[in-house]
Amino acid sequence: MGSNGTMIRKKDLTIWQKTYIPEIVKGLRLTISQMFKPKFTYNYPEERFKPAASFRGRPVLAEENGVERCVACGLCSRVCPALAIEVQASETELEKERYPIKFEINMVRCIFCGFCEEVCPEEAIIMSNEYLLVFNNQEEAVFGKDKLLTPVEKLHDRLEFLREHR
Amino acid sequence: MIETRSLPTDYVFKPGEIKTSSGKTLRTDEMIINMGPQHPSTHGVLRLEVVLDGEIVVDVIPHIGYLHRCFEKHCEHMTNYQQVIPYADRMDYLASMNNDLGYALAVERLLKIEVPPRVEYIRVIMSELQRIASHLIAIGTYGIDIGAFTPFLWCFRDRERILDLFEMTCGARLLYNYIWIGGLSHDLPPKFVEMAKDFCAYFKPNIKELNDVLTFNQIFVKRTANVGVLPKDVAINYGCSGPMLRASGANWDLRRDDPYSVYDKFEWQPEIGKGEMGTVGDCWDRHIVRIREMEQSVKIIEQALASIPEGNVQAAIPKRIRPEPGEIYIRTESPRGELGFYVVSDGTGSPYRIKARAPSFVNLSVLPEISRGSMIADLVAIAASTDIVLGEVDR
Repeated sequence: MGSNGTMIRKKDLTIWQKTYIPEIVKGLRLTISQMFKPKFTYNYPEERFKPAASFRGRPVLAEENGVERCVACGLCSRVCPALAIEVQASETELEKERYPIKFEINMVRCIFCGFCEEVCPEEAIIMSNEYLLVFNNQEEAVFGKDKLLTPVEKLHDRLEFLREHR
Repeated sequence: MIETRSLPTDYVFKPGEIKTSSGKTLRTDEMIINMGPQHPSTHGVLRLEVVLDGEIVVDVIPHIGYLHRCFEKHCEHMTNYQQVIPYADRMDYLASMNNDLGYALAVERLLKIEVPPRVEYIRVIMSELQRIASHLIAIGTYGIDIGAFTPFLWCFRDRERILDLFEMTCGARLLYNYIWIGGLSHDLPPKFVEMAKDFCAYFKPNIKELNDVLTFNQIFVKRTANVGVLPKDVAINYGCSGPMLRASGANWDLRRDDPYSVYDKFEWQPEIGKGEMGTVGDCWDRHIVRIREMEQSVKIIEQALASIPEGNVQAAIPKRIRPEPGEIYIRTESPRGELGFYVVSDGTGSPYRIKARAPSFVNLSVLPEISRGSMIADLVAIAASTDIVLGEVDR
C-alpha cells in the first residue's frame, strides 16, 4: 500500500506457495531441535529465584540489639520521589537521642528506586532481597515499624555490598 | 488477483455511496470500530478508531492518553534534579537506560561537568545492551502479532540474559535508576565484563536462528513485505526517527551524526532499509533494520568491553545539583528514535520545565498515513512495526 492510496500487491501465489508446507517444516524443525536443549525457566512455586546482594527488594529498617538504627532525621522521607515514607521523630534515653515513634512506608507508592538507602547516614533503611509483596487492601500496604524492622544479621550481604560499592 | 483500488486523497465519509475503480457505484455503509485499548496487538493502552469499508481501512484515528502520568509536570515538583531519574525510567519502560542517559546528559550539559571516561564507556555498554533487549521485545511481539509464537519465547529467553546482567549491576530488572547525573550508582561488578563477553558470543548465533525461523520465513515475508510502505519523504515530513526512518532509506542515526558520549570511538554503521523483499520502507524493512541493529549493537559492546578504562565512576557526581539559569536540548538515539530532553533551569534546585520529545509519540503520528487503504489484518502488522511503547507516547 503506497502512501497515495494505491495497493501495490499484484502477484498471485503459486499452488506450491499456497501450501506453505516447506516453510512449516522448516519452522517445526527449528522448534523441535529446541526441545533437547537445557531448560531456562524456573518451576516457580517450588524453585525460587535467589537475588544477589545487589538486588533492590522491599526497603526495611535495620534493627540492632533490639532497637532500630534510625535516628528519624527524615532524609529518606525528603528524598523519596514517590512520597512513600512518613517519619515522626521522638526523643529517647539512648545514645542516639532521637528515634522514630512512627515510621511508615506505603508499599503501594514505593517505586524501589533505592534513594532512601542511598541518603541514609546511619545505614538504617536498607533494600532487602524480599520481592514477594502481597496485600489485600490499601491499609495493609502501609508497612509500619512492626513489618519493617529486620535484624541486621539478615541484611549482612547487602551491607557488605554497599560498603564495597559506595 | 487482489483487486487494485485507490482511494482519493480528499476522501470524504459518505455512507451509502462508494465508487469502485471500475466506476460502479456500490451501496455500502462504512463501519467505525474501535481497536483497543484492550487489544493485545496495540501494545498497551492505545485505542485506534478505525473507519472500515468492508475489510479496507479508510481511516485510522489513534486515541492516546490512557497512560498519561504527568511526567513533565511531575518533574517540576521534584525537590531536586536527581529525583527525576526514576520517573525518566518509567517513560519508555523497555529502554530505561536510554532514557536515563538522555536526561543525565542534558543536566550534565547544564551543569557543565565532564564525566570520567569509564562512566562514558559503561553508559554506552548499558544503553547498547538495553537497545538489544528493547529490539528483542519489538521483534518477539511483532512475531506474535503476525502469528508466530515461538520467536517470542526465544526473544524473551535472550532478553532474560541481558536483564540478569543489569540486575547483577544495579539491582533491578526493569527500572534501573543506574545512570545518575555525573556518574553511575554503582561500579560494574567484577564478573560483569566476562559475562557480557559471554553474552555477545552466545547471542550472535541466536540472531541467525531468529532469522531462520522468522525473518526469512515465507509466511512472515508475505505478511510484511509491501505492507505499510512509508516513503522517505513522508517519514521525514512526519518527523519519524530511529528504525522507522532508517527503514525508509534515510541514512540518519544520531549516534553517528550527532555523537554523544563516546559513540564516535567505535567502528559501526547505521543500518538502512533496502527493500530486499518488497518496497523500501515496508514493514519487513523495519523488522530487518531492528535485527541488523542488534548485530551492530553487539559490535559496539564488544569494542567497548575490550577498551573499557579504569577509574572511579562516582568521582564527578556533584554534591548539590543547582545549574545556572539556562536551557538545553539534548537528543539521543533511543531504540525507538530521537529521544530529546529539553530542560529549563531557573537557578533553583529543581527543574523549572522539562519537555521530553518522545520518539514513539512522533512515530505513531504517521500510522494513519501509512495504513489508509490497507486491509484490517495488515493494520495489526503496521501498528506493531512502528514499535510504540505507550508509556512513552503518553508519558
